Amino acid sequence: MRGGISLKRKAARRGIWLVLLVGLVLFAGCTGAKKEKTTYTFATWAAGEELKEFSAIIDKVNREAAGQYQVEVLSIPSDYYVKLATYIAAKKTPDFFWLTQELIAKYAELGAIADLTEMFKGSQVLTPDQYYPGVLRSATYNGRCYGLPWIANPLMVYYNKDLFDAAGVPYPPATGGWTWDEFIATAKALTRKAQDRHGNTYQQYGYIVDGWPNIETFIWAGGGDIIAENGVDVLLDSEESLQGLGILQKILKSGITPPYREVGSLGSNNVWFEKQRVAMFMGGIQDNFEVKIAKMPADEQFRIGYAPMPVGLDGKAHAFNWTASTVLSSKLAKSKQAYEIMEKITLEFFKWKIASPISGEVGRIVEIAPMKAAALETIPICLNQARSANYVPEWNEINHHLWLKLYNAMLNDPDFDYESQVRAIAAEARALIANRK
Amino acid sequence: MKKSQIGFLFILPWVIGFIIFTVFPIIAALYIAMTDWSIIGQASFIGFQNFRAIFADPTFYKALLVTGRYAILAIPLTIITALLVALGVNNDYKGIGIFRTIFYMPSIVSGVAVAIVFKWILDPTYGVLNSLLRLFGLTGPDWLYDPAWVLPSYLIMAIWGASGGLYIYLAALRDIPRELYEGATIDGAGWLQKIRYITLPMLTPILFYNLVMGIISAFRKFTDAYILGGAGEEGVFYMVYLYQQAFSFYKMGYATALAWILFVIILGLTLVVNYTKKYWVYAERK
Amino acid sequence: MRLRGKKDDTVRKVLLYLFYLLGSCLMLLPFFWMISTAFKPDAEIFTVPIKWLPSSFHGQNFKKAFQVIPICKYMLNTVYIAVLKIGGEVFVSALVAYGFARFDFKGKNLFFLILLATMMLPYEVTMIPTFIMWTYLGLSDSYVPLILPAYFGAASFIFFLRMYFSTLPVEMEESMVMDGASYFQIFYKLILPLTKPALLTIGLWAFLGTWNDLLGQLIYINDPAKYTIQLGLASFSSMTGETLWGPLMAASSVGLLPVVFLLLFAQKYFVEGIKMTGIKG
Repeated sequence: MRGGISLKRKAARRGIWLVLLVGLVLFAGCTGAKKEKTTYTFATWAAGEELKEFSAIIDKVNREAAGQYQVEVLSIPSDYYVKLATYIAAKKTPDFFWLTQELIAKYAELGAIADLTEMFKGSQVLTPDQYYPGVLRSATYNGRCYGLPWIANPLMVYYNKDLFDAAGVPYPPATGGWTWDEFIATAKALTRKAQDRHGNTYQQYGYIVDGWPNIETFIWAGGGDIIAENGVDVLLDSEESLQGLGILQKILKSGITPPYREVGSLGSNNVWFEKQRVAMFMGGIQDNFEVKIAKMPADEQFRIGYAPMPVGLDGKAHAFNWTASTVLSSKLAKSKQAYEIMEKITLEFFKWKIASPISGEVGRIVEIAPMKAAALETIPICLNQARSANYVPEWNEINHHLWLKLYNAMLNDPDFDYESQVRAIAAEARALIANRK
Repeated sequence: MKKSQIGFLFILPWVIGFIIFTVFPIIAALYIAMTDWSIIGQASFIGFQNFRAIFADPTFYKALLVTGRYAILAIPLTIITALLVALGVNNDYKGIGIFRTIFYMPSIVSGVAVAIVFKWILDPTYGVLNSLLRLFGLTGPDWLYDPAWVLPSYLIMAIWGASGGLYIYLAALRDIPRELYEGATIDGAGWLQKIRYITLPMLTPILFYNLVMGIISAFRKFTDAYILGGAGEEGVFYMVYLYQQAFSFYKMGYATALAWILFVIILGLTLVVNYTKKYWVYAERK
Repeated sequence: MRLRGKKDDTVRKVLLYLFYLLGSCLMLLPFFWMISTAFKPDAEIFTVPIKWLPSSFHGQNFKKAFQVIPICKYMLNTVYIAVLKIGGEVFVSALVAYGFARFDFKGKNLFFLILLATMMLPYEVTMIPTFIMWTYLGLSDSYVPLILPAYFGAASFIFFLRMYFSTLPVEMEESMVMDGASYFQIFYKLILPLTKPALLTIGLWAFLGTWNDLLGQLIYINDPAKYTIQLGLASFSSMTGETLWGPLMAASSVGLLPVVFLLLFAQKYFVEGIKMTGIKG
């Protein structure tokens, strides 16, 4: 008898749980009922000051929409990709979001973002051929386009004219054409004991490398690459790639850059350039050295010069370019309205950041940052040299090995035997890619 | 009502909370560990494949070694430091309140802030630590940049932050009946003997607590290690490795399997400590 | 004999004060740096060699910090969350801990092991399932997931209080049982007041946990008007913007003030100890 009662009780309890569960599901179902979509969410990593500028752009778009639709901002001030992934997992994917180039292939492969190719090609407003090819490449995977890049930030060489004059070294050409050997020789001439304004002697270096610039810069300088354009073949251990890493090792061995363990003492690598401790710095065209220099006390200011990246062993100069794109949630893959909104916002971003990723807009740079005027001779060249790696879904993992086991090891030990390590990493990369579904 | 039923009523709130908030995520995590879930994509069931892959991955063993070595040294070091500091400030000297507050300060800042500060303290060239050593004519090591000094760097950070347990030690010290000490004085016991035979035994329940929590937190060390890293793979602690797998490689299934392995390790160690409890922890009174 | 004892005492006192001063310097160094950076102009933040003090005190960073984020509002939001959860968290944790410390019932050891085990599975892997659960409840975009679970006790607090309660003498409780008090009365009228220092200590932990939590708050809070102090501090650096070191340190210093005041104010209660309340053990 007792057993019977407790069984009944159990059943009753189970019933209550069931009712609760069904109620919950119904509740969730009702709130998510289909209706004409008029509210869109846009996730961004912009926070603080940048968020205010971002929100102003979205507000403008909302005003112009005149009630047809409304875009809401979702700012993620920290751990952007953790929260983004969590939202996608909970089926709360933001309709639009920013995605860095390294992750486009991954998100595309996993079906989280929409393939935009057809709408992009058919657009009357913004078409693929308007973009700098090296920039657009960063939003492409397997020949399909998954995002609208909204910024181009290729590398160029910033140099300190005062330090060049003091060492009696001629300026590098503002329109490029110098080789990596010439670059290293210039850096060598600028690596010397110098005196600050208090009369203290200190070591001045020609150049700085500490994990920045990315390893691609050197691999490309040898004419090599990490992954082939087809997204499958690993070129990391090709002869050209190894020669490129040879250039990196030559730089590290020649003493033209501060020892790796010292770089952190100034906070970050760019501070070395700002403090005139290194004469040349490879930075994105967006870097705002000019503004920082203008804010310095008069006796700490210096004149700044610009040159494109050196020409590599393949006869071309390659400017590593960092680009972020706006992507569309895959659940809106068929929504023309969503695409048009995204396109509209992207056009507004072009007026916001340096530099606009479409050609013919170099003039905007001085509107956004008047102090970049002196660089206008060099910047268009860099934009045309802008290059994206061939990103694949396994990129982050391969890149992690490259940093931890190769680049970091080379920085810590200039005599590091990079060749055998590169072969080991290439083998791992091949195994990872072979596992792709 | 029987006394035992009343006891269960006391713990009931936690049991309910456990069922509502914890059971589902744990079951989900058990399932995820058997899938190839990428967080942002579909998951398919792959059985124990993640575990097999983990046991074949040299990075896993390296991360385990880095973490285990750290745990073995950091746990006793932090417990001893906190205990010594607590004994040192367990008096009523003038201004002692201020000093206690100051000694507790490291525990009030977040892991991120601690990491940023230690990046600056341990800097090989201009860091505070090496500048101090230079005052004594010594050349400091490269700390986080030298594979051999990564572990000592993290131990220094652990000791600096050891005072988190300060107040609970103090509270426990204050609760030791004064008669015990008075009796010992009459019996002619010295300072060390009193600590050995009265203070330490009376503190063992709190020590037990700190030991178990120390195991958990040492094996789950993350924030500062994630920000600071360390030469090559020496700074890749277990949780850093797990986090990378989950959130930068999007291998949540693999990361969750890693989490369960960590769970078993911590649980195993806790059970061992718990088993030894009856030999050294001051008997619970009922 | 007596004289020597006094001399020993003085020597001991001097040595201890030396230890306090030295220790204080070590402990305060990072805070000193943080505050000094908060007063530095940009050009002085990273210098070689390190500048201990700004060449002139410069309030610009504080002004800027308050322009970038509404620091006071974010601190109030954090206090709001903390206040809503701490009372419940401490009370329920004590209740459960008392159950574990003073009663025997079937499965007690298993329950306690499960309680310990809940601290061993990393949050990083349960975070997403937990978030999905709150999403189904329609509460993922609110403070509720940050507050409600606290009312069912926190495992680490329960563990600590169980160990702490077990060091208390049982005689008082036994005499109250004799007088016919219920166990809940004993808990409420004897144990809670008696263990105030320990309860305050975990109250402080709970506060610090809320004050310094980033990941939990990041996942559940979307509306910038509901941001907490840690989310605000995270807003000073971004992937495309620049880290504003000066204002960040200024905001961090301001963000520390409430915690430091709380500590200074409460520290004497933490160590009050049971003896001081005059109850004999």
